[in-house]
Amino acid sequence: MAMKLNAIHFPSPKFPSFALPPAASCRSPRFFMASTLRSGSKEAETVKKPFSPPREVHVQVTHSLPPQKVEIFKSMEGWAEENILVHLKPVEKCWQPQDFLPDPTSDGFHDQVKELRERAREIPDDYFVVLVGDMITEEALPTYQTMLNTLDGVRDETGASSTPWAVWTRAWTAEENRHGDLLNKYLYLSGRVDMKQIEKTIQYLIGSGMDPRTENNPYLGFIYTSFQERATFVSHGNTARHARDHGDIKLAQICGTIASDEKRHETAYTKIVEKLFEIDPDGTVLAFADMMKKKISMPAHLMFDGRDDKLFDHFSAVAQRLGVYTARDYADILEHLVARWKVENITGLSADGQKAQDYVCGLPPRIRRLEERAQGRAKQAGKLPFSWIYDREVQL
Amino acid sequence: MASVTASSVKFSSVSCLIKQNQVSNLKKASLSFTGNGSQSRRLPVLRFRITCAAKPETVKKVVDIVRKQLALPEDRDVCGESKFSVLGADSLDTVEIVMGLEEEFGICVEEESAQSISTVQEAADLIEELLEKK
Repeated sequence: MAMKLNAIHFPSPKFPSFALPPAASCRSPRFFMASTLRSGSKEAETVKKPFSPPREVHVQVTHSLPPQKVEIFKSMEGWAEENILVHLKPVEKCWQPQDFLPDPTSDGFHDQVKELRERAREIPDDYFVVLVGDMITEEALPTYQTMLNTLDGVRDETGASSTPWAVWTRAWTAEENRHGDLLNKYLYLSGRVDMKQIEKTIQYLIGSGMDPRTENNPYLGFIYTSFQERATFVSHGNTARHARDHGDIKLAQICGTIASDEKRHETAYTKIVEKLFEIDPDGTVLAFADMMKKKISMPAHLMFDGRDDKLFDHFSAVAQRLGVYTARDYADILEHLVARWKVENITGLSADGQKAQDYVCGLPPRIRRLEERAQGRAKQAGKLPFSWIYDREVQL
Repeated sequence: MASVTASSVKFSSVSCLIKQNQVSNLKKASLSFTGNGSQSRRLPVLRFRITCAAKPETVKKVVDIVRKQLALPEDRDVCGESKFSVLGADSLDTVEIVMGLEEEFGICVEEESAQSISTVQEAADLIEELLEKK
């Protein structure tokens, strides 16, 4: 635990887009995103080569969970089997991408593709930028399975371990894998986007990986995934709604189906953390505050397409403007989790635990206030080309 | 000598105990200046020490806002040299401090300028610069 507290007070490098809100210039929620190394950053450890992907800049801390706490997860295995694996869907009952795509074996295949492309033509570029960003995020799945397997006490030791944790991780990965596949095929068929640029971005992103600062610590890890699953649920729910508004019901179904998977995953992860609050309230509330202080970094924050050094910022600005995923959503998710885990009511905490409790409970209104002010003062941002749509320009 | 002591005492009421040698440097500076016999002029002492520095009232207002934001105990000294990060401010605190300053002084701080603020003095200087422009 001492290690974790040190992590909170660890002097973090100050970065232009990390330290302060997008007050006057941009409405993106990038304040809430993790800092990344950009060209021109004074804190660069090495000189950043032009046109190279961003890197994580924080010091990467490992194994912050004390060994005796790792034991907790072993003792939870029976509970996990009964309570977590039930949130997986049996494969035979699962949807597959083919369920939502033109059927290549059918005579009507070409017509189905034509209809898909006609519907896609009615959907504006800014929506596609966001959908592409989401698809790229999903396609970086190897990074997320890796991240789960960095966690002490729950990692899949062999790749085929039979512990409930390992079973969960593999099955979760398998379910998520369909999301990227489906969006990829849809975007390919749509004819609205530059697949090669997108594929390049995916290759860069998987190569970059990510460090969500979970320190091999499953407390931090499951708090992070709880937040993220809810964030993707919100985000895909919004893209579904937008697709419907643009008249593409099939695309709306695609996004909505993905969103329902995310909701199920959110249920599982929040249940794990709820159990941790039961077993070790002090440790868990400290972990919650720690993750929120470090900020929940978006999985694709290191995205790069070979051209735009600030690709993630630009993508998230569009997502913010379209209301697909906003700073307000960030605050709402946090507030939801605080309520879900009944953080306000926890008693018997240490002094540090109480500070953490106060911090976490008081954080959502602070974020909202910040966001309101940023919105109130935001100047009209310009248009920017995105290589994913052949350098067509989109309003940030 | 009494007035010298008085001015250096006034100084040290705003001076920082974070770095011991800083405090002694300040005292040295005021002592050597008032050695020239300008007993009644306290403000020039400040101006001499740092050119274009913000007015003490501005610094005091910044200090108050910082104290409130970070809920600092009374005995924790805050002065011009105080770094926000050392006082325990995280990035969210720093943003809220800037917001508080905007409200207090009726100014608008650009993101780029706000990023360059890391101490109380820098905040005060920026505020005065913005007030001048208004």
